[in-house]
Amino acid sequence: MSDVVTLAAEARPEAGRGGARQARRDGRIPAVIYGNKEPSAMITIPAADLHKHLRQHGFMSRVFEIAVDGKKQRVLPREVQTDPVSGKPIHVDFMRFSATTRIAVEVEVVFQNEAQSAGLKRGGVLNIVQHEVELICTPGEIPQAIYVDLAGMEIGDVVHAEALPLPAGAALAGEPDATIAVIAAPTVETASAEAEEGAGTEAAGSTPAA
Amino acid sequence: MLSPKRTKYRKQHKGRIHGKATRATELNFGAFGLKALTPERITARQIEAARRAITRHMRRTGKVWIRLFPDVPVSSKPAEVRMGGGKGSPEFWVCRVKPGRIMFEVDGIPRDVARQALTLAAAKLPVRTRFVSRFGEEG
Repeated sequence: MSDVVTLAAEARPEAGRGGARQARRDGRIPAVIYGNKEPSAMITIPAADLHKHLRQHGFMSRVFEIAVDGKKQRVLPREVQTDPVSGKPIHVDFMRFSATTRIAVEVEVVFQNEAQSAGLKRGGVLNIVQHEVELICTPGEIPQAIYVDLAGMEIGDVVHAEALPLPAGAALAGEPDATIAVIAAPTVETASAEAEEGAGTEAAGSTPAA
Repeated sequence: MLSPKRTKYRKQHKGRIHGKATRATELNFGAFGLKALTPERITARQIEAARRAITRHMRRTGKVWIRLFPDVPVSSKPAEVRMGGGKGSPEFWVCRVKPGRIMFEVDGIPRDVARQALTLAAAKLPVRTRFVSRFGEEG
């Protein structure tokens, strides 16, 4: 299970756009805590702390402990809204949970031992189809990441979701035969292909029908 | 070059690009991408030039996703023709791009190769751009 991380938070008195913008001007990010059959709580968290956690792997599967008005609660990030241009976070959703709640959570897939993969050594390319996999488990059982061992894998080998080493108590939320990654054959660069690219593909469909 | 197979109408109004992108603003396929920061019309030729720059630098390894499609026809009048006489004939296709749009995504290559490939692609495009990566992979 991933470690519980403490996050300093303050209650946000004003709802809506004005209060949220004021919080952002003060260097804080507006957020909300909901779930577990309790009323939702509007909070703000320091932007610098959030940036620090976002830069680390597996933010969405990390359990946070947030203290608001002296009351500590364990939460899981459910959504991070970002500005479409700057990419900076503008709002975060956190969900409370009880110890027995089974929740769907996206966990990062990490590939190991790439140097020991015969296929990759021979020039194959690791095509990652799914960077995260959705698991259903209790918050205490959320793994930090799912590790896939590439040692001994050849060109053409496929990693399916059902082959992932899941921790005890966790189940896949999606299709078991979903493809996680493929070791694809290298594209052989031929002289004819290069010449074809150089000549361009302007013959077909380049000009709208007059 | 990219172009629609068939269209309902041959000619369109010029239009204006307002606001920020609401779709295709996050990486959905690859680990790295190129995001537009300014609004502009991007032609099919520019998209193709950028795609070639990326694939050549990647030496045909990894994978590239193009998240633009030029579906707006642009018409123009022939040279030395007096005004009037109706709208000109369609000449090329463009894609209207709003700030925040992810235009290209790549995966299966190291970060420095991806950055260089997308920098080369950005030089072919008429918009200011930024290299983006997934949460937790920022360098």
